[in-house]
Amino acid sequence: MGDPFDLAAGWLQEHALLPLLYALGLMRWEEVSYGWALFAVYGAVQVALTYAVCVPLERWRPVERWPDRRAVGVDVLYTLISRVGVLPLVTFVLFYQAQVALSGWMADHGWVPPMLETVFPALLGRPVLTFLCYAAILDCADYWRHRLSHRFCWWWALHALHHAQRQMTFWSDDRNHLLDDLIGFLLFGAVALAIGVPPLQFPLLVLLLRFVESLSHANARISFGWLGERLLVSPRFHRAHHGVLAAGQRSCNYGAVLPWWDMLFGTADFARAYAPTGVPGAEAALHSGTYLRQQWAGLRGLWRALGRPALTNARRRGAG
Amino acid sequence: MRLLSFLCLGIAAIAPMPAAAGVAFVINSGAASISLIDMGTRKELARIPALREPHHWALSPDGASLVVGDSAGNALLLLDPATGALRRRVTVADPYQLGYSPDGKFLVVNGLARNQVDVYDARDFTLVKRFPIRSMPSHLAFAPDSSRVFVTLQGTDRLAAFDLKAMRALWDVPVGSTPAGVLWHDGRLLVADMGTDHLVEVDPADGRVLRKVVTGKGAHNLFLSPDGRVIWVNNRVAGTTEELDAKTLAPIRTFRIAGGPDDLAFAPDGKVWITRRFAESVAVLDPSTGAVTTVPAGRSPHGIFLNPSAPSAARLARG
Repeated sequence: MGDPFDLAAGWLQEHALLPLLYALGLMRWEEVSYGWALFAVYGAVQVALTYAVCVPLERWRPVERWPDRRAVGVDVLYTLISRVGVLPLVTFVLFYQAQVALSGWMADHGWVPPMLETVFPALLGRPVLTFLCYAAILDCADYWRHRLSHRFCWWWALHALHHAQRQMTFWSDDRNHLLDDLIGFLLFGAVALAIGVPPLQFPLLVLLLRFVESLSHANARISFGWLGERLLVSPRFHRAHHGVLAAGQRSCNYGAVLPWWDMLFGTADFARAYAPTGVPGAEAALHSGTYLRQQWAGLRGLWRALGRPALTNARRRGAG
Repeated sequence: MRLLSFLCLGIAAIAPMPAAAGVAFVINSGAASISLIDMGTRKELARIPALREPHHWALSPDGASLVVGDSAGNALLLLDPATGALRRRVTVADPYQLGYSPDGKFLVVNGLARNQVDVYDARDFTLVKRFPIRSMPSHLAFAPDSSRVFVTLQGTDRLAAFDLKAMRALWDVPVGSTPAGVLWHDGRLLVADMGTDHLVEVDPADGRVLRKVVTGKGAHNLFLSPDGRVIWVNNRVAGTTEELDAKTLAPIRTFRIAGGPDDLAFAPDGKVWITRRFAESVAVLDPSTGAVTTVPAGRSPHGIFLNPSAPSAARLARG
């Protein structure tokens, strides 16, 4: 008996995607479509697992109670688009094309990208350890991506969309501007070129890491204790990052899964606890608009930021 | 504990070996591994880690190495075809499909993602010639005299021919829709057109399509049986494998093989082992009865190599 999630993806591929590709004359994309099917199935499982765990936690020990939860609805849409729907399809196709073009160009110049396992041969034959090393490196890269997205005025204009949510829940993890996602994707691609990317042979581990990221946004008074807080990013730790006093450049706790990078680079704050979230002064569309209005507001913010690169730090904090 | 291990090893060494049934090497492209399966018990004996995305294999001309291409890992894995032990890793750009020329001089490697056909010296893996080609070079077949290699181009619906003596491209012509498997047969080329329900017969001189033979939706790959009498065609979308008369190309029988049939290998007992890309398993078909049994493998099993004379499970387990 194989992995049930893989078999579900296989069923999707065999009975829905392949006949569709065949009918459309797009059979050259069949490998890509299978990759997407795997991504979508594991994404759906991620959403289900996160829902099953986080909903009871948020009801058990909520940080905030809201009579009107309409603002949360749009975050549900972000999650479904990001983890199950259109975004994986687009990124798979785009990434595949970009990878073909770039790696083809590099191969023409006689260069084969290195890999962690080829640089450190001791990792060969130890796939779980290798994966964990990659996960740590990519988490560190993501720490810097995140920190820089707060540092640069134009980037913050996009990333403010993620922070503008005043009703932060576990659904808020995927609430990002599409351009912000794209930049993160390009950065990930650059790291991948430098050290390779881990094979997708541990989807359950990936699922677990994504679960930690979602959980960290939960509207729940959950702390992992003195030691646990220093090992894994908790809802308490990450909420400090989303606090109104931490918006923009003066933020803290940028880590997504591991708090080590914040501790190492001096941005960890274990003292702040359960602050209200949001971006003070952000335009209303950014926190209470529809999906499209939020995306449009992000673009407007970017345009304004590019036009005024010399904004003061104080004004940056209120930008959005 | 160490003493106990030593004693166990001694017992294994003097214990009678089970009858040699052979070992199947199943390349799990989506799990970055190669499953070694006992062909007798159908149990997985071991799983060899690859780097990223292994797909296809070729046996070295001297039969000493099973060469597996890890395309995203940019590496060739040289395995002992009897035990699966990794002997050597060679860095090669994007080895997707690969094959040794019949005279044993060259190893031709298709870089599907990088749009290149590389010709390596079979002795030391030095690159002799790189042919940039658009796009998605997929499967390959050699002329029996090793003068030419023919490569299907999935991205541009074409078939390309390369002269291995002059090391130059000969021609590059359209042959259908998403061509995949290609086979030299009886002075002609047979090409499986995955975007259609048929394979095409092609003149190797100029790539001219001579005729079409309907096999099933998503005709993906084709293989000549060891006795040379039957051509087997795996139809990816239809979920079938088709027997064709090798002389006339007339259909003989159709077998239902669900789960995306891909590569195929012939066992000495007459059974046919077929990888099922989307079902994490291999189908073992008994053509005499039509019965199909399923053997579990890793994610997205692709290439398959059977070594009927591989040693027994007990020796393999000790590596």
